[in-house]
Amino acid sequence: MSEPEPKPGAALRPAAPGPAKSSVLNLRVAAAVIAVVVMALMPYYLTDFWLLTGLFAMAAALGAIGLNILSGTTGQLSLGHAFFLAVGAYGYMYFSGDSGRSGTHDISGLGLPPFIALILAVLLAGAVGGLFSPISGRLRGMYLGIATLALVFIGEHVMINAHSVTGGYNGRAAEPMEFFGFTLADEDPYLEVAGVEFAKYERLWYLALALLVIGIIVARNLLRGRPGRALGAVRDSEIAAAVMGVPVARFRSMAFVVSSMYAGLAGVILALVFGRMIPEYFGLALSIDYLAMIVIGGLGSVGGAVAGAVFVTVLPQLFAHYAASLPLVVESGGDGVGPTEAARYLYGAAIVLVLLFSPGGLAGLVRRVRTPRTTPRTPARSRSAHSKEPQGAAS
Amino acid sequence: MTKLSEIVLNGLALGSVYALIALGFVVIFKASGVMNFAHASLLLLGGYVIAQLHDELGFAGALLVGVVVTAAGAGLIEMLFIRGLGKVELHVLTILTIGIDILLTTELVRRIGSDKLSLGDPWGAKSVEVFGANVAQARIAAIVVAVVLITLFFMAFRYTAWGLSMRAASEDREAAALMGVRMKRVQLVAWCVAGALAAVAAVFLTASPTPGLDRTTGFVALKAFPAAVLGGMDSALGALIGAMMIGLTEALAAGYQSDLDALGGGASGIAPYVVMILILLWRPTGLLGSKELSRV
Amino acid sequence: MKPRKGTRAAAAVIAILALSATACSTKEKDKDPAPNGSGNAGQLKTGAGVSDTEIKVGELSDLSGPFAPLGKSVTNAEALYYEQLNAAGGVCNRQVKVEVKDHGYDPQKAGTAYTELSGKVVGISQLVGSAIVTQLKDQIEKDGILTLPQAWPSTLLGKKVIQVTATTYDVEIINGISYLAKNVGLVSGDKVGHIFSDDEFGANSNAGAKYAAQQAGFSLVEQKIKPTDADMTAAISAMKSAGVKAIIVSASPRQVGPIMGGTETAGFKVPVLAHSVGFHPQLLALVGAPMEARLYVASPVPSINTDMPLLTKLVADYKAKYPDQPIDQGVLSGYTTAAMFGEALKAACKAGDLTPAGVMAAHRAQTSLDLGYGAKLDFSSPDKPPTYQTYILRVDKTVPSGLKTVEQAFESPGARTYTLPKPS
Repeated sequence: MSEPEPKPGAALRPAAPGPAKSSVLNLRVAAAVIAVVVMALMPYYLTDFWLLTGLFAMAAALGAIGLNILSGTTGQLSLGHAFFLAVGAYGYMYFSGDSGRSGTHDISGLGLPPFIALILAVLLAGAVGGLFSPISGRLRGMYLGIATLALVFIGEHVMINAHSVTGGYNGRAAEPMEFFGFTLADEDPYLEVAGVEFAKYERLWYLALALLVIGIIVARNLLRGRPGRALGAVRDSEIAAAVMGVPVARFRSMAFVVSSMYAGLAGVILALVFGRMIPEYFGLALSIDYLAMIVIGGLGSVGGAVAGAVFVTVLPQLFAHYAASLPLVVESGGDGVGPTEAARYLYGAAIVLVLLFSPGGLAGLVRRVRTPRTTPRTPARSRSAHSKEPQGAAS
Repeated sequence: MTKLSEIVLNGLALGSVYALIALGFVVIFKASGVMNFAHASLLLLGGYVIAQLHDELGFAGALLVGVVVTAAGAGLIEMLFIRGLGKVELHVLTILTIGIDILLTTELVRRIGSDKLSLGDPWGAKSVEVFGANVAQARIAAIVVAVVLITLFFMAFRYTAWGLSMRAASEDREAAALMGVRMKRVQLVAWCVAGALAAVAAVFLTASPTPGLDRTTGFVALKAFPAAVLGGMDSALGALIGAMMIGLTEALAAGYQSDLDALGGGASGIAPYVVMILILLWRPTGLLGSKELSRV
Repeated sequence: MKPRKGTRAAAAVIAILALSATACSTKEKDKDPAPNGSGNAGQLKTGAGVSDTEIKVGELSDLSGPFAPLGKSVTNAEALYYEQLNAAGGVCNRQVKVEVKDHGYDPQKAGTAYTELSGKVVGISQLVGSAIVTQLKDQIEKDGILTLPQAWPSTLLGKKVIQVTATTYDVEIINGISYLAKNVGLVSGDKVGHIFSDDEFGANSNAGAKYAAQQAGFSLVEQKIKPTDADMTAAISAMKSAGVKAIIVSASPRQVGPIMGGTETAGFKVPVLAHSVGFHPQLLALVGAPMEARLYVASPVPSINTDMPLLTKLVADYKAKYPDQPIDQGVLSGYTTAAMFGEALKAACKAGDLTPAGVMAAHRAQTSLDLGYGAKLDFSSPDKPPTYQTYILRVDKTVPSGLKTVEQAFESPGARTYTLPKPS
């Protein structure tokens, strides 16, 4: 177990951007707004393949932000993130779906309006995360990590056997999202904007983008405010945090709830995008993907989580798409290193290299490029200043 | 009654194999403070080397080379990746081992492809009768070998200089270093020991009656996680007890599946995890794990 | 965050960007390729995937995941078929071009790979992985392109666009049990074991086994296993203590091998019936003797090493084209599936409609297609498999596929009286 080192202060330093910061902040806001607008224009240019990849990446980004709050900021290792995504996805399908048949089984549903179902599914995921708090409150470090591993396996078993809710192996179709008669699907109503047909993926793009923007803003505010500092203190030293009056147990389980809600939201988006979810999707590999995202992106950083999610989601697609024009990579089915393998190598290597040479992940790299004067403002930043970096990283 | 004794014996044999893997987890955890997720690929590496060489070198020779290669592989991981990192957060190290596992597994799976490889073990399909139950010879061999190796391990832990250093190191790393314990060597040896145990486990995982090594053989390591954790991550004895519990639970849940229908069938796969959660709720650091003491 | 000056400046930039962007979007909507001129080929109607010289067929396979062995054999065999078809002049004076995408059994990759095919191909002549088909089936139905999956659960029935290519698992096991009952002498009242994997394949097969057992008066001892399990000793102990007279296995080679080995070591040498997807020639090196003695394989196609003109030619051609690749049942499955698709293309060409809808209509109009290995295939009903027949194969170490046909295509009485699970 990591030995608790009392090092108070740093993590709790109040976020007080000096007056000199405001212009920097202005610039950042402007950059963010431009980024959002560029994203909003994407459906005019991207083909279905890239739209779908982008949708997966946005869903993954939301999930990664959630896991980052839990593992990056609070330091609770979770291998069970896939389970909470599943809760969100199946929760949405259950709340919005009608009772009927899927394959050989009867399935039930509440038939609620999709938007209400989305909110309920996110709340449900949070509640399930809260139910895990007797375990998350008691276990530390690796014990918690392996206990969450159990969630994935037990969850898979439940998903396969709870036919009436999940549809079993066959999965279950998801109702399309709908706002006052406007459906986020190919038809109903037919929509064309500036000569481009707005079908399912184009429409979902804006929903996902809006949710992602909200998710990022909420997470940033959360982490910069009191809760974020408290969570960082819990990670650095529970005892020190407790001494300073942070209710440790409550914050630990709060992190679990918030993280599960993000995962649930990601699950709902995935269900909408896929149109049908099967239990096989939510395996251990998915949990590990999310861990990889936050590590590659940079533990504790919201922007890093998003970057990591994009990296992990888009990389295999790039390889698959451009396999023919890459040197050393043979097309699928041939002998030698195929695109899938090449993507796996790069993915594994990225994790290892990032941790060895830039433990702050992509976010840490960006930070290092910038002026070193910037004093740590968020608890996330304080960590890299305090944890010993490997010798190799300094050069 | 034969059914019960058959199931119990097989459960113990399965537990012995888990014990070999779980001991590896514990040794590494004690030395480096990390849960080694790359163990699955080390196991696969050991099996793959033995499968490739047994035709030329015979089973014993191949086994020896396999054990050495896997031990060296584990040692290499320690030297290249773990050592330099020094003191970082627990899950950073853990995730690092996941990255290593992805690299190594991808390469091995690419080589193994869709093949099912024989390791050329000498037991074949032969069986012996114990307490009226027919049990594969390989399973008995697994128990015997595990008992021998684990006894050797405990003796080494107790009586050799390395064992003393290990124990000192897991008590207090800095104090041990100050007392002149060569931490680097202690850690390196720990990783090598774990690798060697994994290679031996690979043999019994792929021997009759579950013949053949394939790309998914390494997954078994995932079942040794609960074993190591429920016994207590830093207790070798705990790992042994945990492994036996997991092996027996799994075998009993599968063998008496028809009596457990209410759980939706096929519950034996998740039984180890359920047992683990229940025990952790009762004892948050496992059965024999040392309590986390906090010095303020 | 409060709005600041920078925001306003950004807003201006954005407005400009937005205006210019909407004005000149370059996105080509690949979903509606302009219907090709009906000039050259007289009245021929064409649509997605068909140009004046080329017909594009999609394949969505697993070449890097758990089903890679099947995926590779099928992909190779399909390539061989289309090569021969092109050498013989193609279809409608057009060469067939295959576009293969690998999904690695990952639903996310399958989803994106599908978008690269839909709208650009006339149909999909290979889709590996039951779960992947399930994942994509709603979308395939909406896009209306004929798809031939390499998976045979009856839950895939009921959609006009998805053609299950052979006898479904449940019907196959009904036929298999009837053969077993006759040939190893099972009588009413006997106990029969069923070890099945906890997935769609196992569940579907279990439905058939239940029906067959009830019809014949057997009592079925069920044992569910995880698809990733390799240790079968506990399952075997349960079977042994229940005293079953035969074991039916609906699982992958990963489990069939240990079951053969485990029953042998336990001295429990009962006959075992498995599906052809549960057999792999490499098992012979590991548990050859027990398999030779008492394994029966129920299959929708004969052994590829059967002495039939089509099959001997296929084996020879395949060996010539892929000398290093193993010859297994996947080769036959791939070749016949491609042939099924080729016949649909030819029929569509004859009918003068090579649009995706035309190909599907032409395909569904075939009621008695004979591909040369015996079975007559009837594609007219989406709710039924094209055939109810099953072959029984047994182990033969002397041939490359490791299997020989011991019973030609037959249909047991239970095959048609069994009610297929109501499609959704």
